[in-house]
Amino acid sequence: MPISDTLALTGRSLKKWIRNPATIMPALFISVFWLALFGSSFNPTNLIPSQVAGYTLIPATISAIKSQMLTQSFGGAPDYITYLVAGIVALVIITSLAFGGIDIVLDRQLGFLNQLLVAPISRSSIYFAGVWQNFVKAMVVGLLTFLIGLILPNGVQLGAGFSVLSLGGVFVVFGLIAFGLCSAFTAIAFSVKSIDSAVAIGNFLLFPLIFVSGAIFPSSSFPDWLKYPAEVNPVSKAAEAARLLIVNGNLSASQLSVFEGDLAYLLVFVLLITLLGLYVARRALAPR
Amino acid sequence: MVLRLSGNRHRLRHRFFTLGAKPLPNKMYSVTRGQKTPSDQIIEVQSLTKKYGQTTVVDAITFGVGHGEIFSLLGPNGAGKTTTIKMLTTLALITSGKATVAGFDVAENPAAVRGCIGLVPQELTADNELNGMENLRLIAKIYHLPDDQARARSQEMLSLVDLESSSDKKVGTYSGGMRRRLQLAMGLIHSPKILFLDEPTLGLDIQTRSKLHEYIQRLNREQGLTIFMTTHYLEEAETLSDKIIIIDEGKVKETGSPSELKERRGSQILTLEVSDGSRDLTGFLQGVQDIAGVTTTVPGTYKMRVSKVENAIPLIVDEVTKRGLKIVDLSLTKPSLDQVFLEITGHSLRDSEGSTSQQRPQMPPESKK
Repeated sequence: MPISDTLALTGRSLKKWIRNPATIMPALFISVFWLALFGSSFNPTNLIPSQVAGYTLIPATISAIKSQMLTQSFGGAPDYITYLVAGIVALVIITSLAFGGIDIVLDRQLGFLNQLLVAPISRSSIYFAGVWQNFVKAMVVGLLTFLIGLILPNGVQLGAGFSVLSLGGVFVVFGLIAFGLCSAFTAIAFSVKSIDSAVAIGNFLLFPLIFVSGAIFPSSSFPDWLKYPAEVNPVSKAAEAARLLIVNGNLSASQLSVFEGDLAYLLVFVLLITLLGLYVARRALAPR
Repeated sequence: MVLRLSGNRHRLRHRFFTLGAKPLPNKMYSVTRGQKTPSDQIIEVQSLTKKYGQTTVVDAITFGVGHGEIFSLLGPNGAGKTTTIKMLTTLALITSGKATVAGFDVAENPAAVRGCIGLVPQELTADNELNGMENLRLIAKIYHLPDDQARARSQEMLSLVDLESSSDKKVGTYSGGMRRRLQLAMGLIHSPKILFLDEPTLGLDIQTRSKLHEYIQRLNREQGLTIFMTTHYLEEAETLSDKIIIIDEGKVKETGSPSELKERRGSQILTLEVSDGSRDLTGFLQGVQDIAGVTTTVPGTYKMRVSKVENAIPLIVDEVTKRGLKIVDLSLTKPSLDQVFLEITGHSLRDSEGSTSQQRPQMPPESKK
């Protein structure tokens, strides 16, 4: 029974994780630093000058410029941290996934993987156990990051119509991007032989995924050559979809169609990457 | 599918030789594609070869393991022992040749083979963060034991390896010997037909080693479990095994029971002491066909290697009596398996342990082939 095999193996990994809660701390530090430092201090709207060419701008003008800037480039968010939080949740999720592969490499190095491979269980269940264990860990740190964003002083301001349903929507979006990337990172972890390679590949993918996307900063300000990769990056779609819900709460018809488009894109991404991951992992787990 | 015909006790007959000592619990029939082929061998290996790129690690080895046997694959590090186990346990692909385990072709039906075997690998794979019981329960789940059975079986295995009192302690706190014992329990949890042990006592102290030997013998004796083990400890192979295969550089060098190997290869050491040391017997002794390597350190005391004791001793006794001397002492020392190994492979087992081992004293040159 592949499902019970997957559950048993996922349970083993999560049991170890729960018993060692300190492992979650680095991820939470990252969240606090990014949200507090970037979200509050590096707020681009703070940079609007009060004097231009000898003319002093009245507060109403500054405020108008600020508002125009936020509407035009930051998806109508009331401030930068509200724009940023979706990106930071994505960042924390991806960091967790990128390094989650270490456990899988360790299982190979310590011989535990061979113990599984001599047992009459399907190779797919070994792969999916790897995917689920890292997915659950990533989603937990993602959720905590979102909560940190809400409770920080001058933190995230949720849109007026934000409901439990919107929260559910945010997590479906993050769940999809996390599962898709998790399938990829897990397949990589099963394919490499050393922790060094797993970490190197994780780092190598982490930065383009996050920075070549609209997660941290609007891609409209990117140079042209970066715009296209940022556009197709599934992290951009996830950040955009989650942000629509966070900023607006209730979506207008046009916003809803953007949201649905992003969701469809993510679904296709998850499906393709999971099939590819399964293929790669099964090859990596086959005897040589 | 395996058909077990109970009550059909019979004696073992091997391809290489007849052991005849151990009665078998069951006769096994393997059924493949509708054909029923009676098989006395639970593992059959023919010209099994493994190549990694251009390097041949296992070179056309052939052997068979009977039901309920303890079988040892003996050889120095790098001889191909672990690779052979990996092929038989479906962890490595077979380059050429054929292997059948519990009636199933390893290459064609690896999933069925996995259901019949247990593996205790060289590495300690138990999870440090989980306790002994949790580790066993996890493996039981992977082998699809129902919950109640998994609990009972885990308990049973823990008591078998004397770990009941530590079952709720994290494995990280276990000693090396305890971890080895837990590992053995993990390999047995699903009641396999064949247990593969890869260097089961590597790096263990003497007490723990003999304790493990005891478990292995008990499992074999009481449950008729077939045990396939690799080792580079000669004493271990000698104490435990019904059959030994010596491999070196991927090739089979010798097959037989420990005593057969010694008889076939190892000449015995004969010490003779006569009453009058002034009359030298060296010339005579050197002339006897079955005697070689005569040395004398004290006048009247001779040491020699004898291949056929039954021929040599009457000749010696006759000659000594003819010369009017008396025999003060005549003793035979059986060769150790180490000497046998040396004769077979041309190097001592410990010489080949390579860079990891400290320098060991070399064997005397005259005993080299």
